[in-house]
Amino acid sequence: MKSNTADEDIRRAVAEAAEPQAAPDGKPYLIISLKMTASISRSQGVPAKEVEIAALKQGIIPSRYLRNIGTIGLDGQIKLLQSTVAVVGAGGLGGTAIELLARQGVGHLIIIDDDRFSEQNLNRQIMCTEGNLRKYKVTVASRRVKEINSATTITTFRERLTGDNAEKLLGSARAVVDGLDNLSSRLIVERACRQLAIPYVYASIGGFSGQLMTIFPGDVGLSSLYGSPSSTVPEQGIETRIGNPPATVAMVAALQVQEAVKIITGVGAPVRNQILLVDARACVVDRIELGR
Amino acid sequence: MALITVRFYSLWRSYLGTDDTTLQADDIQDALNQLEDKFGPRLRENLEIAGVHLDGKIQDYSLILLNGITLRNLKSTALKEGDVLHIFPPSIGG
Repeated sequence: MKSNTADEDIRRAVAEAAEPQAAPDGKPYLIISLKMTASISRSQGVPAKEVEIAALKQGIIPSRYLRNIGTIGLDGQIKLLQSTVAVVGAGGLGGTAIELLARQGVGHLIIIDDDRFSEQNLNRQIMCTEGNLRKYKVTVASRRVKEINSATTITTFRERLTGDNAEKLLGSARAVVDGLDNLSSRLIVERACRQLAIPYVYASIGGFSGQLMTIFPGDVGLSSLYGSPSSTVPEQGIETRIGNPPATVAMVAALQVQEAVKIITGVGAPVRNQILLVDARACVVDRIELGR
Repeated sequence: MALITVRFYSLWRSYLGTDDTTLQADDIQDALNQLEDKFGPRLRENLEIAGVHLDGKIQDYSLILLNGITLRNLKSTALKEGDVLHIFPPSIGG
């Protein structure tokens, strides 16, 4: 645990490293570079995110987040850095979500997937390349996050989330992002999130269609779409016939990340008790109010 | 008989070329039968053009909500004036 003196040392080091900048309107602000953040992290023996949080608390913006602040503010960026987001599935939706969450500056990512990359993943799974086929998705995702943001810490689980291990895998998460590809797994995640009181950002896609809703404990959820008991729901949908094209995956994953950012920062209202339907072919987005 | 609105979403709207329709129906089954007669062949034909062959009726491969509640969870199948049916394809991939 850091002492007050150590905290003060970090604050002073950050203040000394700050560089003045001027906004287009002439308003001055302070930034701290990636290089100086890393240097203070090393010299003070603290994680980079602690340096970034210390900077933001003094109104000094880590330059890497400069383009985030206009939407979520300094407090929003601090909340993100102090938060854990779990991504269940690191394939199509999950891979893009992980990439964006790291860029957004979420402090801790939990990545859960037991699968390896295969050739049919290359069309849409942003982490999948010809060079890492047959590699475990969590291994590749972890490496990618480290390349993007050294302040984001990562916990990986190379296993499937089940009712039995859900608390161990998701327990510390502030939000859970759905990167799955079948309904039965989603129902397990939804149930676990309700039990653990964690908001669950559900999404799925098929062809040009995508759907999304954020489910807080007590909200309507997947049974409002697929009915109950869950034993009668379909395992897969039209994607088995019309595929999973990359643009639909990226669009819907981006919306999921924005939902997670809303949950954590409080900036914007999540899509709750509604299903959001994306039609990439017609470029139309609809919402339907859901009942019980 | 109740006058209800039927709204199509995402791919179904694209393939049917319409956002919505109205119809007079006694209950859910009556409404689904009318929808199938009016739109089923066109939807399957356009899906076939897109390379997708689907057997069955619209209700067999769609998510259908009545006033935001899935038909699977409805307590009554009766319709009342002003009800809205929402119909869209299930997308479960990722």
